[in-house]
Amino acid sequence: MAIIQVSQLKKSFGTLDVLKSVSFEVNRNDVVAVIGPSGSGKSTMLRSLIHLEQVNGGTIRLLDQDLVREGVYASPQQIKQITAKMGMVFQHFNLFPHLTVRENLELAPRTVKGEADEIVRRKSAELLEKVGLSDKADNYPARLSGGQKQRVAIARALMMDPEILLFDEPTSALDPELTGEVLQVIKQLAKESMTMMVVTHEMGFAREVAGKVMFMDNGEFIESGTPDEMFGNPQFERTRAFLQKSLK
Amino acid sequence: MSAEYILNITKPMLEGAQMTILLFLVAIVLAIPLGFVITLLAKSSIKAVAWLAHAYVYVMRGTPLLLQLLFICFGLPLLPIVGEYLVFDRFVAACIGFVLNYAAYFAEIFRGGLLAIDKGQYEAAQVLGFSKWQTTTKIILPQMFRVALPAVSNESITLVKDTALLYAVAVPELLHYAQTAVNRDFTIVPFFIAGVIYLVMTLLLTLFFKWLEKRFKFE
Repeated sequence: MAIIQVSQLKKSFGTLDVLKSVSFEVNRNDVVAVIGPSGSGKSTMLRSLIHLEQVNGGTIRLLDQDLVREGVYASPQQIKQITAKMGMVFQHFNLFPHLTVRENLELAPRTVKGEADEIVRRKSAELLEKVGLSDKADNYPARLSGGQKQRVAIARALMMDPEILLFDEPTSALDPELTGEVLQVIKQLAKESMTMMVVTHEMGFAREVAGKVMFMDNGEFIESGTPDEMFGNPQFERTRAFLQKSLK
Repeated sequence: MSAEYILNITKPMLEGAQMTILLFLVAIVLAIPLGFVITLLAKSSIKAVAWLAHAYVYVMRGTPLLLQLLFICFGLPLLPIVGEYLVFDRFVAACIGFVLNYAAYFAEIFRGGLLAIDKGQYEAAQVLGFSKWQTTTKIILPQMFRVALPAVSNESITLVKDTALLYAVAVPELLHYAQTAVNRDFTIVPFFIAGVIYLVMTLLLTLFFKWLEKRFKFE
């Protein structure tokens, strides 16, 4: 069942068309890797799903609710309610530097959802354990490595019990030796059937973890398929050219 | 030069220093929140409000504090009709002047603090579902104050020294008593004593802000 349905999505910055009629669907429990050259519109597409970008046209339907229908947005209240079911992980982590790791995790469920103290506490302990950072609970983000920061960011997103997790180049700001620990966490989430869209330059990750690979170029959705189809036998010349360059 | 003499002239100067400290406290306690309000007004989406806030900062920073003090103490009462209602005790008038003036500087400091906050912080807050108010109070303000701390410290030290402007509106304070002693006894010593008292005050302030900066290092 498709829980992300996007059709004819259009977005432009001034005269530059960043998204030119993008359409695709993502099913529940899918792990989709979105690949493509820089400036192809992958990040903008992802960000528009969670309303960090406002689109100029098209439809985004999430979990059977219209975020935007033919260019017309839902009410601010509905937008909030729809996007609350999604979480997002950023390239630059965007942890709150004035809060400890534990506080980073607990602030949103406490303030936004008003969850009880003991529930929030238990959840944050569980999630820190899951991302292997229980011992860092009382540290400030400044004391963590990039890989640790990104794992905290993932745990923070999970605190809100999202049904869909979006990742915007989660390993692009990391040293190569630190990408593994972050990808490991994403893999674990994939095993637990979390629905995820991951914009990435890690072809290895796309191949290994994603159930579906989606290729974008120049603001257009070109093709998608299983990793085997996409890496083994892409249908379009643009996809082939890009993969050849990236896998070199 | 006896120790007794030094003690004798230091006593009124320390009493004068109480005025200095009182003005400092009033100014800092009121100017920081007012400055913050001005920062927010300057960011208002209502054009006229933002414009007024900017104009306010421009005027207060663009004219001498001394002029502003003289204006409030001796200028306002000369205004036709309303003038007679605008006669303040001179210390109160000085407090008003200092608060209004320093608020403009603090507003600029806080504006700088806000500019230093990465837009990723707002985005992370948005996707986690924080309201605008929650984002401002829980995420942006604490970071803004932290970024602004060194500049606030600097401004506070300037404020200690600016309190000497009370001299110009004839409110007896530290410097006034030093000057009186110099004239009366024809000696330079009171100036040195006044200098030392200012140094002690700024030292304490410096140590306090150092402690604050360390306390809120977030490391």
